[in-house]
Amino acid sequence: MDALLVVVWAVRLAFLALLFVFLLRVMRVLLRDLRAAAREPAGLLGRLVVVASPAGDPEEGRSFDLDVITTLGRDVNNAIVIDDQFASSDHAVLTYRGRSWYVEDLGSTNGTFVNGRPAAAVAPIGFGDELGIGQVRLRLERARSG
Amino acid sequence: MTAGNPPASGSTSGSGVALPHILGPIRPRPRMTEAKLFALVALTLLVGRVSLSLTERGTFELADARGLGVYLGVLLAAHVAQVLAGRRSDQVLLPTVGLLGGISLLLMQRLPQDLVTLDVAGSTLGLGDVQLLWLCLAIVGATTIGLVVRSDRWLRRYKYTWAVVGIILLLLTFVFGSEVAGQRLTLRIGPFSGQPSELLKVILVIFLAGYLSENRPLLIEQDTRLGPFRLPPLAYLAPMLAMWAIALGVVVVQRDLGAALLFFAVFLALAYAATGRLSLVVIGLVLFLAGSTVMAQMFDHVRDRINIWIDPFADPLGAGYQIVQSLHAFARGGLLGTGLGAGLPTVGGRLPIPEIHTDFPLAALGEELGLVGVVAILGCFLVIVQRGLRIGAAAADDFRAILATGLALVIGVQAFIIAAGNLKVLPLTGVTLPFISYGGSSLLANAIVIGLLLALSDRGVEPPPAPSPVGRDGWRARRRLRSRRRLGAA
Repeated sequence: MDALLVVVWAVRLAFLALLFVFLLRVMRVLLRDLRAAAREPAGLLGRLVVVASPAGDPEEGRSFDLDVITTLGRDVNNAIVIDDQFASSDHAVLTYRGRSWYVEDLGSTNGTFVNGRPAAAVAPIGFGDELGIGQVRLRLERARSG
Repeated sequence: MTAGNPPASGSTSGSGVALPHILGPIRPRPRMTEAKLFALVALTLLVGRVSLSLTERGTFELADARGLGVYLGVLLAAHVAQVLAGRRSDQVLLPTVGLLGGISLLLMQRLPQDLVTLDVAGSTLGLGDVQLLWLCLAIVGATTIGLVVRSDRWLRRYKYTWAVVGIILLLLTFVFGSEVAGQRLTLRIGPFSGQPSELLKVILVIFLAGYLSENRPLLIEQDTRLGPFRLPPLAYLAPMLAMWAIALGVVVVQRDLGAALLFFAVFLALAYAATGRLSLVVIGLVLFLAGSTVMAQMFDHVRDRINIWIDPFADPLGAGYQIVQSLHAFARGGLLGTGLGAGLPTVGGRLPIPEIHTDFPLAALGEELGLVGVVAILGCFLVIVQRGLRIGAAAADDFRAILATGLALVIGVQAFIIAAGNLKVLPLTGVTLPFISYGGSSLLANAIVIGLLLALSDRGVEPPPAPSPVGRDGWRARRRLRSRRRLGAA
């Protein structure tokens, strides 16, 4: 009878131990995943993807990683150069303030649009929203992970 | 610096109709992490089954593990299906859920089998077999949803329709629901019966994700000042008040404190996650405390629950019986527990804890697996929440981020509410412990949650649709946009 008791207890403890082995293995996977996400160098704040660009510069499908302040316009000194005949040389600026993205029109001739509506002086813009500058449309997206 | 979806954007511009990106070539893709974790789950559950058999009868025969074998077979099938479909979805969620479900299976096989019976084709299934059936359906359901759902448009677009469906479900339960133990929770339609509140929590999260992601800029940007508080515009607080009223209505009419607490907690957490406004949470909590104080004055069943919570030992054989027995069970378990199958069997012909299979599975596990086992189980729930939040953080847009966060929180908060109830940390409410409690509605609703999380975690899903203008005149602007597009196409 005693031998059985020892076996029973060994099996019980093995079960409890295995529960934690499972959790530890899961932890390792989660840690690896988090480290990989932390190593991601650029584009942590978000990115702009070109949805439509009739003039071809920037080309459609291209994605730009964003800094805290990103300027857009026809002038070559802008972070994102938009070579479109309806874009002004200093057209708009995207800023990340606290917890959200904002777009500000810099007095452009033809205006800046968020989801097809003219943007007020400083307009909030969320991930998935579309920014219209001249004929170019860009979508704000989260930074890619993994 | 490349396009987001290389296969779609480059090749579809040619002549003819190219297959959409989502139906691209299906190539099997190994999921080694998931395979290893599943192997570990299988080993753990087998050892658990051996432990249970040895304790109950002193021997172990292969026939004992038949039910477990079926369950592990279903898990294997779920894994193989995902490998064959070549999905790059989350590899941790299903093994974790599989482990919790397996522990549930062992527990239900160990409890008296006549707690629940189901007659199928002449033979009678006991508690363990019925739970096995539901667990297999849940795993199959979660995997199917994870594989089939390739677009969230049907969730995103019809959020108000979903809200209406939810309210209709609630009203149906109010009117036609049958009362069980003083709670009007169960709805019978023909031969089927279920608890709509389980499904309602999923619908609530879908609606909130749609509503909050669409109105997020407005909720963040604009202010209404009310004394020292800076609130979002009052018009956007209306849904919040409606939510509060619904939660209180659930308490009054359905007498379902747990569901009300769950709905409201998830609502507040999501509102905070979407806007970062602490004032919303403060106001919500104040409303909730005021509401519950008034309720405790007005309604006996609320006051009883609170009195039992404060001092269950005032009436240990009557009102406080369940919770006192639960505390004793945890105490008997101690650090390592008595071992599966070695907890107290029926005392004097009745269960030590009434409703042990639905409301107190954690107490049973606390007795048989001890503190160590309970910590491991709570750890599994934490893993599920972490995965959900991570999927939310990596999501492509606000809707998916809020949806994933909400789905994870629904499981986490529900597990917390019932675990805290069993341990006398919170007043006891009758919600189920996800994946562990007996019950078809609960298992299937949580399977939908896991299925949606799996679908959201897949990196190959359809990109989010082009956004539509938001705000008061959004509808008109959307129409203008649509007609302009039509003109452009013509």
